[in-house]
Amino acid sequence: MTTTADAPTTRGLLLPPADPREHLTSPTTRTVLRLQQQMLAAAREYLTGAGFAEMMPPVIGPVTDPGGRGSKQVDVDFYGHKYKLMTSAILYKQASLLAFPKIFCIAPNVRLEPLETASTSRHLAEFHQIDVEMAGASRDQITAVLEELVRHIVSRVVTGLPEAFEALGRDTSVFTALLEQAFGRRTHAEAVAELIGLGHPQNPDAEIDWEGEALLSARSAQPFFVTDYPKGSRGFYDRESAQDPGVLRNFDLLAPEGYGELCSGSEREYDYTRIVTRMRETGENPAKYGWYLKLVREGIPASAGFGIGVERFTRYLAGLDSAWQANAFPKLPGVVSP
Amino acid sequence: MSGLRTRGFPEQAVRERARLGAAAAFPADAHYGHTLFGAEPVRSDDPLDQLRITPPVFMPQRLEKLIELGREPLHTDVALDTVIGGLRSTLPLYLSAFGSTRAAGTDQVLAASRQAGRLGLPMVIGENIVPMTGYGRGGERTRRTALGRITAYLDELPDGLGGVAVQQSTEDADAEVWNLVYSDPAARPLLESGRLAFELKVGQGAKPGLGGMTVLDRAAAARVDEQYALDEVFGPDADRVLRCSSPGTFTEEILRQQIRLMRNNYPRAKVWVKLHPGRDVALAADIAWTAGADSVTVDGAEGGTGWAPVATLAHAGLPLGECLARIGPRADCLLASGRFWEGSRVVKSLALGATAAGLGRAALLATDEDPETGLTRLVECLALELRLLISSLGKYTPAALGPEDVWPSPVAATPFHRLPEVVHHG
Repeated sequence: MTTTADAPTTRGLLLPPADPREHLTSPTTRTVLRLQQQMLAAAREYLTGAGFAEMMPPVIGPVTDPGGRGSKQVDVDFYGHKYKLMTSAILYKQASLLAFPKIFCIAPNVRLEPLETASTSRHLAEFHQIDVEMAGASRDQITAVLEELVRHIVSRVVTGLPEAFEALGRDTSVFTALLEQAFGRRTHAEAVAELIGLGHPQNPDAEIDWEGEALLSARSAQPFFVTDYPKGSRGFYDRESAQDPGVLRNFDLLAPEGYGELCSGSEREYDYTRIVTRMRETGENPAKYGWYLKLVREGIPASAGFGIGVERFTRYLAGLDSAWQANAFPKLPGVVSP
Repeated sequence: MSGLRTRGFPEQAVRERARLGAAAAFPADAHYGHTLFGAEPVRSDDPLDQLRITPPVFMPQRLEKLIELGREPLHTDVALDTVIGGLRSTLPLYLSAFGSTRAAGTDQVLAASRQAGRLGLPMVIGENIVPMTGYGRGGERTRRTALGRITAYLDELPDGLGGVAVQQSTEDADAEVWNLVYSDPAARPLLESGRLAFELKVGQGAKPGLGGMTVLDRAAAARVDEQYALDEVFGPDADRVLRCSSPGTFTEEILRQQIRLMRNNYPRAKVWVKLHPGRDVALAADIAWTAGADSVTVDGAEGGTGWAPVATLAHAGLPLGECLARIGPRADCLLASGRFWEGSRVVKSLALGATAAGLGRAALLATDEDPETGLTRLVECLALELRLLISSLGKYTPAALGPEDVWPSPVAATPFHRLPEVVHHG
């Protein structure tokens, strides 16, 4: 594995081994991947049991989630047409509700994140999400699904793989609050006020920055939701509140102990006029979303959904330093890798 | 020197400055001792041309400078360094975007980039460059790419000065120009030293309300026909077509949210916004600043380097002077562009509230006249004029200029009434 000459922010950090054999045969990697396999099995068990249909997500398409925070999409030459690798499955998740009212998928995502994210311990250029979408759901209903899903997964791996946690030196008593109590909730505005109170400068119109998320996360003993992000901080598909314009009906789930964001979700925009307007507000060119807008114009269900970052969730459960340790073939932003 | 020509622009005077430098700030020295000099009446409809610079008799700020220096101040004591949209510049000047028009040849554009870097002036890279010519990595060979320009500029740029502002149009958004630059190792020195800005292009002076336009041969047009509208204005048998960018739809909320999203997505880049000289330019500028833009550029109807319809060039958009009068003095960073090439127009614009002025056509002509030092000489001449004029007003920084320094007092034809809840950004 070679590092680009221009990626100095990875200096001093734990980097993936240069040789994939070393990574794949390491006892830690094997234990972490076994834990992850159990997590995915538990996720499928819970979601299938709750009536969600598993879909196989597309990997390429003419358009993908525009994303945020400066990450770049990967272009693919599709018989002379410019296609994209999926940065998230969001557009297909909404479309899939035309087939089934409750769906999930375990989806790969590729985002060429800014180089500075190589040092956050949380960003991978290629990662996976447990993606869930539910027709007709409100935010309260979808966060209830998320909370139960997380609790089910943690419960299954803690009881099923005690030797894995022991090998990793992870004390499972840290999950007691998660397993027994409802997750906390605070609004974005409250989180901003808390950060400013802690002396951390935080733009009230923007996403909570990575340092801010880590600060809030470190001060909590169990996962908690941050809700009601401002409009300028998220994509066009997060639904804007009818009662409180400028505020989105969305949420993030943050892990405790400084691990930060695990999951983002929202009630979705589904009305054509609102989506086109929101696309402009996010600087998007509606013309390139042709297939999606045609579906929306003809009608798609109202819905809510979320995506849990599999590597981040694994990192939190296993108590790892970095998210790349939870991936068999990790790709850090800016680092040339197998 | 190529065949580059301009319309409605003092081309010969600019070329003379590119050859002579500061000496061109005065009449030819051959006339000295033989000719009597005096003011000539100004014949122009341009509101800035119609203003006169008004040095007072009493100059308290000159006294302050005298005390500071312990000697009588001279024009050489004017400190011209200026913070432009969060970027430090040696002068209240920056290099405007040239767009993707072919009139500006690759060599001229690169020469202008190199000289702007050497001078420590911020540089704007125009819209539509990436969709048209590529970014400059992954096998694209042309030196005209955005990366080619950034590299040429950075090679000459002193530490701590200048910076690059990269525009993005609707079609550029498809090419994800900002994301590309923000995550590019080659742009990293700019990002890490706080010298990268992104400019949201809302409009342009030469064709307000319309998008960018260039004329392409059919082969080039075929390569971009999925991204751009192509118009057969030259006839179905012509070998060339008109390529049109969409101007993009803006409402107050769309502008506000796009700026907030820029700040959200690119927290380490400065946010610039470029407006066309619309009748609501003051409201638009106010919304941009309030949403957190580091600077707002107003491109007067006199501006533009690119291809534009005759009708809009002659008849559409407010003159820069009227735009500045409508916006009025603000603490925020306001950049002005449109027919800048000499010092008096810059000083008048600064007096009306601008922080800095952009060089577009003048920079291209100067590098066309002399690719190595043409722009440098033009800027030397401009800097001398700025020092002379600013010191003549008893002031010693560009920021000290105010509406009292011009006559008649600027009055907007339609003043902007600021809403009471507006928050000012310093």
